[in-house]
Amino acid sequence: MSAAILFPIAAALVIPFIPDAGDGKRVRWYALGVTLTTFLLTVGGYLNGYDPAVEGLQLVERVSWLPKLGLAWSVGADGISMPLILLTSFITSLAALAAWPVTFKPKLFYFLLLAMDGGQIAVFAVQDMLLFFLAWELELLPVYLLLAIWGGKKRQYAATKFILYTAGSSLFILVVGLAMAFYGGGAPTFEYTDLMAKDFSTKFQLFAYAGLLIAFGVKLPIVPLHTWLPDAHGEATAPVHMLLAGILLKMGGYALLRFNVQLLPEGHAQFAPLLVVLGVVNIIYAALTSFAQRNLKRKIAYSSISHMGFVLIGIGSFSALGTSGAMLQMISHGLIGASLFFLVGATYDRTHTLQLDEMGGVGQSMRKMFALWTICCLASLALPGMSGFVSELMVFTGFVTSEAYSLSFRIVMAALAAVGVILTPVYLLSMLREIFFGKENVELASHTHLVDAEPREIYVVSCLLVPIVGIGLYPRIMTDTYRSSIEALVQRETTALARVIQPQPGSLIRQPLLTAPLLPV
Amino acid sequence: MPSAAELAWLIPVLPLAGACITGLGLISFNRTVNRLRKPVAWLLISCVGAAAVLSYAVLAEQLAGAGPTEVLFNWASAGNFNLQMGFRVDALGAVMLSLVTTIAVLVMVYSDGYMAHDKGYVRFFTYLALFSSSMLGLVISPNLLEIYVFWELVGMCSYLLVGFWYDRDGAANAAQKAFVVNRVGDFGLLLGILGLFWATGSFGFEEIGSRLQEAVAGGSLPNAAAILLCLLVFMGPMAKSAQFPLHVWLPDAMEGPTPISALIHAATMVAAGVFLVARLQPVYEPFPAVQATIAVVGTITLVLGASIALTQMDLKKGLAYSTVSQLGYMMLAMGCGAPVAGMFHLVTHAFFKAMLFLGSGSVIHAMEEVVGHEPVLAQDMRLMGGLRKYMPITSTTFLIGCVAIAGIPPLAGFWSKDEILGVAFGSFPLLWVAGFITAGMTAFYMFRLYFLTFEGEFRGGDKALQAQLLAAAGKPPGDGDGHGHASHPHESGWQMAMPLAVLAVPSVLVGLLGTPWNSRFGNLLDPQEAAEVAEHFSWSEFLPLAGASVAISVAGISVAVLAYALHKLDLATAVAARFPALNAFLANKWYLDAINDKLFVQGSRKLAKSVLEVDSKVVDGVVNLTGLVTLGSGEGLKYFETGRAQFYALIVFGGVIALVVLFGSLG
Repeated sequence: MSAAILFPIAAALVIPFIPDAGDGKRVRWYALGVTLTTFLLTVGGYLNGYDPAVEGLQLVERVSWLPKLGLAWSVGADGISMPLILLTSFITSLAALAAWPVTFKPKLFYFLLLAMDGGQIAVFAVQDMLLFFLAWELELLPVYLLLAIWGGKKRQYAATKFILYTAGSSLFILVVGLAMAFYGGGAPTFEYTDLMAKDFSTKFQLFAYAGLLIAFGVKLPIVPLHTWLPDAHGEATAPVHMLLAGILLKMGGYALLRFNVQLLPEGHAQFAPLLVVLGVVNIIYAALTSFAQRNLKRKIAYSSISHMGFVLIGIGSFSALGTSGAMLQMISHGLIGASLFFLVGATYDRTHTLQLDEMGGVGQSMRKMFALWTICCLASLALPGMSGFVSELMVFTGFVTSEAYSLSFRIVMAALAAVGVILTPVYLLSMLREIFFGKENVELASHTHLVDAEPREIYVVSCLLVPIVGIGLYPRIMTDTYRSSIEALVQRETTALARVIQPQPGSLIRQPLLTAPLLPV
Repeated sequence: MPSAAELAWLIPVLPLAGACITGLGLISFNRTVNRLRKPVAWLLISCVGAAAVLSYAVLAEQLAGAGPTEVLFNWASAGNFNLQMGFRVDALGAVMLSLVTTIAVLVMVYSDGYMAHDKGYVRFFTYLALFSSSMLGLVISPNLLEIYVFWELVGMCSYLLVGFWYDRDGAANAAQKAFVVNRVGDFGLLLGILGLFWATGSFGFEEIGSRLQEAVAGGSLPNAAAILLCLLVFMGPMAKSAQFPLHVWLPDAMEGPTPISALIHAATMVAAGVFLVARLQPVYEPFPAVQATIAVVGTITLVLGASIALTQMDLKKGLAYSTVSQLGYMMLAMGCGAPVAGMFHLVTHAFFKAMLFLGSGSVIHAMEEVVGHEPVLAQDMRLMGGLRKYMPITSTTFLIGCVAIAGIPPLAGFWSKDEILGVAFGSFPLLWVAGFITAGMTAFYMFRLYFLTFEGEFRGGDKALQAQLLAAAGKPPGDGDGHGHASHPHESGWQMAMPLAVLAVPSVLVGLLGTPWNSRFGNLLDPQEAAEVAEHFSWSEFLPLAGASVAISVAGISVAVLAYALHKLDLATAVAARFPALNAFLANKWYLDAINDKLFVQGSRKLAKSVLEVDSKVVDGVVNLTGLVTLGSGEGLKYFETGRAQFYALIVFGGVIALVVLFGSLG
């Protein structure tokens, strides 16, 4: 596991010494090789050392670093992180392939890409809160630079907004991490397993939970902490885009599960209704903004926010099915979002515009592109047979059958979330119609060269589509890898729920209509 | 040797495999595969053909008295929770399997002729196979959840096929409308399925039915909630089977190629809603309120469809509204608690309506030779007329279809429609009146279509009329891909004529399988009920009702003959001019499209715009404001930089104290 983190970083350091004519042709093969090797490393780790039936940590590697502080380089994987590690290395290798047309400062670009690869795997793999904070911060820098150097017209604004938002929010991680390390009895420690064993008071959990929720809520993102995302996505280039949508957003969801649910279960028991409400707000609010948005990239950026709402509902559902659904939704959106953003980039390379008003009738000359777009949009609007459907269905079913909420709360929330089922096709199909359908746009066709999809592009999208359809047809290939971990996690949060609501289990949250999100002040 | 029922999973898988092979071929080797027209067509037709053979075997087994077969496997699981998928074959499913595969094969053969000159020929066949596969999957689904899966998939195929000619704006809009309206229904269906699962812990039809009844009887679930759940589920069939007010997508969907209109929007997919309601009978049966709602919705739909069909000038749209109306009859039967009657009408309607649509396709194909590929011209009946001379096979089969749908014995439509009216007479007399009058309207508008299209003089060469029609549709005159090259239309080739002739046979004969005194159809689906009906059958009850419905059909036909064949009766002055409001009401399709557009389309756009405004001005505004404030306060703080170490120490000290107090209060 350490190898998977250190190898791309080490390999990145070699990049400046690669002799190159300046057009980046050699570097890109090199980067592709490195990312593929990393992917194979993670797959190897998964196949050889990982047993899905075990709920705890596996593939653990631990080296003492600063023993006095209890600091250690400790990495490992359990059901929550393993699928995301695989996803990261998979998407990054495809992003390297997607970055083929990058010719501006290729060495720096690939250097950052590889550094990000390692950083992101580290975020998911480390088992120490301080290391987590470091990895979290480390991975911000490459994104900042990738945005600020290769972005669109407003890249400086977007990059600054991104770094301020995320760096500002990650302060909360540090503060809460320190507090958790020194609080709650026992020797100061940052390691997850030790933190889990600590017995925090409910009040402390609430404060810590609130802090972490802000930190991870920015990343996921949760409305109203989302405004960095459309700007960042609107300015990023396709490969960066794929990483942003495919992996960065998942860090938020992962961290919510890892820290908020696993380490602070009692805080979670109090906050969960809020998560569900926020999830519903995410779904509807972002779907509407996406519908009104005229810029293609921003439209899809908002659709990402909308899809992340299901993750929130799943996490807050107190059911194994719902939580697995949230997990699956992260993976599924990682794949679908990456493919959509890749297609946006590929289309932009041809049309040189992102304004929907300036497109239209492109389908005539780009048939394969049209087909790929259609498939990905259908995947995104949760068509059965693709992964998005399974995950949304699991979240819905899990939430509706959850015992933790009152009936009326469940009905209202499920009905509102289901409104998203109507809104998603509205904006996605309108978008398809405006880009591809209709008579060919003469003005656009006259000054752009609309060539159809190249084999490389078809390859990238089909690589993403294979797991999307695979999961959609038989979701257990994915859910079984993390099933036991999620079950243990839900067990933990359910006992915490029972502890929080001692007098009469369920009475606090099981309250009549909409009083459910009791915010402890 | 496994039985055919055990192999039933192959029925949807075979066309799927064919579709996947050609689909992948299209994406990776577009040009080569596009050139392999005939091989691809043969491959896909034989895939669906094999599925058809298997379906007949399954049906034969069911006829021989085999029981239902169900095979399940674990599809998704978490905690102590398992979602099961699989397939289930019973009499109802077997009937649908044979029906769908038969019509699919015929439509595919027909498409070989109809789409011969289209550049999207291979893509069209791929979509067709994909659709057949999803539709067949829907039919053999053992539980609600799996139905929902295939339900969405057929919706997707419909989307792809309606938008097949994607360079036409009309097709693009219609495809999206179809999908979104269906999603509105699916919204209810999904919530209903989830609610029923919550209430009963199951997705299976019988289990839901019995457990729901138990829950209501035991008092753990209020009666109103159970009814609400049932109605939510019913929203799905309402959208799919084009029931009022969610029928609006179906007439627009006629923008798709005509074979699609025959296969998807007349015979199979739109019938899926009726099929689902039939499957859900064990759930709905104990709730009379639900049954009554279904019956009322069906009745409104059947009146609405028939009344709008009276004034349509577009051949395909006329047929589309007729489909809406006939689907209303089927729903009425379901609401009266007579699923066998509804299913029987579904089967007979599938045959004759598919034939009528294919016939209209044949007409349009022939008209295109004269007036060019502009649908505004090629589908307008004002430009047709006298086609019987040129197209004998098409006109004969079309006439058979008209007689069948009008309900003249012994053709198919008579038996099935009469059965429905008979049941309605017993349960909801008021609704029977509506259905009875509509039967007359049906006969009138169908023969109106027939006379306008096939009798009289051919009017296709009338350039002034063409220009007028184009102007009315808001299109520039002389637009489109070239004018026709023939002065009069020709009969279509054998690929198109053969399916018409084949479909004419069941349109005439299939009704005889469902005669009320010895219903073979009823014996298969529900032997107990059929025996009961046969036992209680008496000519004295049957004859007056049947006689009345034949009489009103004949009356309808006579009006049509007077008005359109003999020109003795000028309806334009006699009725339309005298009741302009009524005429406008019908011509504008009850103003439902306008209302939907104002209320939902513009409304949702406005809402979305204002939310985006809020997002960029308020939410993002606060963020940017914070940025400005930080800049400003930085400027301000500059003056605190006194350079004195004590001052800094003081601030740090104060901060630490504050933290200590904070944590102290926590402990």
